[in-house]
Amino acid sequence: MNLYNLGDILSKLSKALQDQELKNVQMPFSLKFDRFFSKPIYRKSLDIITILFFTLVIIGPIINIFSTIFLNIPSIYHDVFNDELIGDLQWLNILNSLGVSFSIATIAVIVDIVIAFPIAIILTRYDFRGKKILDALVDLPMAVPTSALGFSVLLFWGIFGISPGMILIILGHIVFTFPYIVRNLKIVLEKAAILYEDAARTLGASGITVFRTITLPMMKEGLIAGAILSFTRSLGETGATLILSGLVETAPILIVGFRRQLELPSASLLAGILIAISITLLFSIKFFSRRGSFSVKRVWPNLERTLSRKTLRHLRDILAIIILIIVILIPSFYIISRINEGNLFEELFLGQDYKWVYLYMSLMSSIQIGALAVIINLGFGIPFAFIITKREWGKIITILDTILDIPLAIPSAALGFAIFLFWGPAGIGLFQPGFFMILFVHVTFTFPYMVRPIIGVLESSDVGIEEAARTLGASNMTVFRKITAPSIKQGIIAGCIMVFTRSLGETGATIVVMGNIRTIPVLIVDWVEANNIASAIFASTVVIIFSAFLIFALRAVTNRRTKMIAKN
Amino acid sequence: MPKIKLINITKTFDEGKVLAVDNISLTIEDGDYVFLLGPSGCGKTTTLRMIAGLEKPTKGKILIDEKDVDGIPPEDRDMGFIFQHFEIFHHLTVWENVTFGLEMRGYEESYIIKKAKKALEIVGLLNYADEFPSIFGNPGLQKLGIARAIATGAKILIMDEPLGSLDPKVSKVFRHELRNLIKDLRLTAIHVTHNQEEAMAIADKIIIMRAGKILQMGSPYELYENPNSIFVANFLGETNFLQGFVLKLLEDNTMQVWIRLGGPKLLCENKQHKFNLDDNILIAFRFEDVYLFPKNYNFEDSYYDWSKMQFFKASLDSSRFVGATKRFYFSLDNGDKFVSVKPGSYEENYQKGDEMIIAVHLNDIHVFKTPKNLFHELSLS
Repeated sequence: MNLYNLGDILSKLSKALQDQELKNVQMPFSLKFDRFFSKPIYRKSLDIITILFFTLVIIGPIINIFSTIFLNIPSIYHDVFNDELIGDLQWLNILNSLGVSFSIATIAVIVDIVIAFPIAIILTRYDFRGKKILDALVDLPMAVPTSALGFSVLLFWGIFGISPGMILIILGHIVFTFPYIVRNLKIVLEKAAILYEDAARTLGASGITVFRTITLPMMKEGLIAGAILSFTRSLGETGATLILSGLVETAPILIVGFRRQLELPSASLLAGILIAISITLLFSIKFFSRRGSFSVKRVWPNLERTLSRKTLRHLRDILAIIILIIVILIPSFYIISRINEGNLFEELFLGQDYKWVYLYMSLMSSIQIGALAVIINLGFGIPFAFIITKREWGKIITILDTILDIPLAIPSAALGFAIFLFWGPAGIGLFQPGFFMILFVHVTFTFPYMVRPIIGVLESSDVGIEEAARTLGASNMTVFRKITAPSIKQGIIAGCIMVFTRSLGETGATIVVMGNIRTIPVLIVDWVEANNIASAIFASTVVIIFSAFLIFALRAVTNRRTKMIAKN
Repeated sequence: MPKIKLINITKTFDEGKVLAVDNISLTIEDGDYVFLLGPSGCGKTTTLRMIAGLEKPTKGKILIDEKDVDGIPPEDRDMGFIFQHFEIFHHLTVWENVTFGLEMRGYEESYIIKKAKKALEIVGLLNYADEFPSIFGNPGLQKLGIARAIATGAKILIMDEPLGSLDPKVSKVFRHELRNLIKDLRLTAIHVTHNQEEAMAIADKIIIMRAGKILQMGSPYELYENPNSIFVANFLGETNFLQGFVLKLLEDNTMQVWIRLGGPKLLCENKQHKFNLDDNILIAFRFEDVYLFPKNYNFEDSYYDWSKMQFFKASLDSSRFVGATKRFYFSLDNGDKFVSVKPGSYEENYQKGDEMIIAVHLNDIHVFKTPKNLFHELSLS
């Protein structure tokens, strides 16, 4: 036995002695609990429950509306095309409303893009005082209930004598779809590395040439995504449109009208058409967005160099900001300056009809529905986001991922009607119109708003640290609790706030299924229609302030997230 | 005592479309510090992840201590894993990172404190226990990663490019610390890298992988001196390759080969009569095994035994001084090129275009049959 071996044996002995100090190894209950529920069977059953929820809540109503149309062809044909009294007037109405909706959405998106480009560049590439405030103000219309926004727009342009009709609808739609485009453009502009632009500049390209040949191609997907989102939001909007439309009928308003007059066959046909169009749009965008490109080959150096001059650039920026202020910012918040309109106190508190009670109750219903929608979507959204990002099911994931966006694309009035047909008295019969049906509709159309941000953080979060935790002895559930959840917390909070604000602002779907319950946006529409202007202004101001509060919370959360990522 | 055995392991991805690991078997003895070495995409990381339980083999068995570990999740395998990008939990403090694995095992608090302190002390981070890991640069993060992995007391340490994210200079110092730590703790360690120099410097045993297969395993010395394939000869160290064919078979296991296009004729070993007359062959010799002499050098004056030296002529194209070494670039008459490496202190006054006498020792020449896809064999991927 040589010396080396002796040392070896001694150290082994001392190691053995050391380990004997470890007497009672007792796993804490929480770890045992995690370990128990980490068994594959529980994960699989959670997957199945989540998919089941997804199928019932999102796919079910959509398939149902098509089967309803198919099964009721005779009555639809009778009501829409061949009525004894009015002939095919319904059909002409439907076609007309579709035409109106599409032209409004197209014009609104084009105007949005024209204003949004310079604004997005100003917000990402320049540094100036008040940038953060401008940024927040641009985002704000997204969070405010559209009926309150629409009312504000009505009052503002009323000063200049513009009365309800096509032009006012377009002005209104520009206001609330604008943030979607700016937001998407900003995201891609921030991602598109400035280094590429610098490279092009050092190669001798002028500002506009760089933008057109380098920046724009990199922004393509963001631009398309923003345009689609704005387009579908405009296509599906009900609350503001009801206030601004006058005699014009857009497709969602026609659905609301059909529903109110209980003309269910006509309503289901129109809802079916809208859903089919939206889904086609969504899929073709997913399919085509990667193809097609901007012309980058042709260059007009001198012309573009002239256009890139500093004075012209300043002129463009100033013009864009002026238009932003006049067309979007002032109309959005003009209503707050009218808070002292008429005899508010008398109308609200002393009237025979107890308006303040209604206001209180509808505010409460809105908050309750929003909160419950958040909780339900949280419960199913997290597992669903995990399925999309972590499971290796091949094509099924691609399909689920695409279907997930459908509620974003279809007009909420049509979706509301589809859900009414599926779950309501005409279908399964589980719910009557009222609180729970509103909740159900809100859960459906806000589901993607919850899942998307979580998918986003899950995809950007590091799989490595989860694996590191597992090699250190943590079970699946423990890894989720201790490692994954803290790192995706910001995404979950962002999702919650998005769901809540969207639920708070929704009008179209709510009107279709609300029964006797009123939510705050619907109440505003009701009061504007009943000409209770002072109360409507008060209610709108309340929700605008409330939403402003929410959007600032959202920004705080997402900012912290980007900071954290930057730090890591 | 941990002994890791892989038996006929195969791993495919994308429903069998991508073959990552192709039917490999290997044994890692207790206390060995083994390197899996190969170009990226050769399956070494997949192999490692299968041992750790992060991937499931498509076919085959993994035995640890003679026990089949199929179906045992990574958390129950009791191994330490060190990652290339550290995978430190940034929302936890240094202390919480190190105690994570101990907490997961449900040990009592005094034991956890003792073990975590020991681990932090070993890597020299004890003073930073209360800080968040974001204060560290890459070396600090990796030290923390090591502390976290060894704190649990796991006897097997698995490392996936642990030095890959460090600066070359730092990693050169760090790797010796790593080896000392592993030897002090008597761990069985598996280390994946594509850095051959790193493997040569600190491995007990190297396993060279390529395209999902094991090409050769052995100690660094064995692999360097006796590469069994063109790839291994090329991958470890710096090697010249010249093409030619067998001209004459001689007695005592040697043969005469002729470098292509009227190049020099050389004597090579022909062990076990592997080669036949007219076989196309590739001869390989390392940069540092090439001796240089001026044209008019007088070999008679030297007492050195020249009998096993192979001499030929070549002209000097250029030379570079690279600090510790000098590199000389030569062409043969037929246009083939080769390189010679000498110490930086090597004294010479050779000029560009000089005709020189080159010598290579018989034992330093490795001969391989010319493969069909020579270009692929000579590529390092």
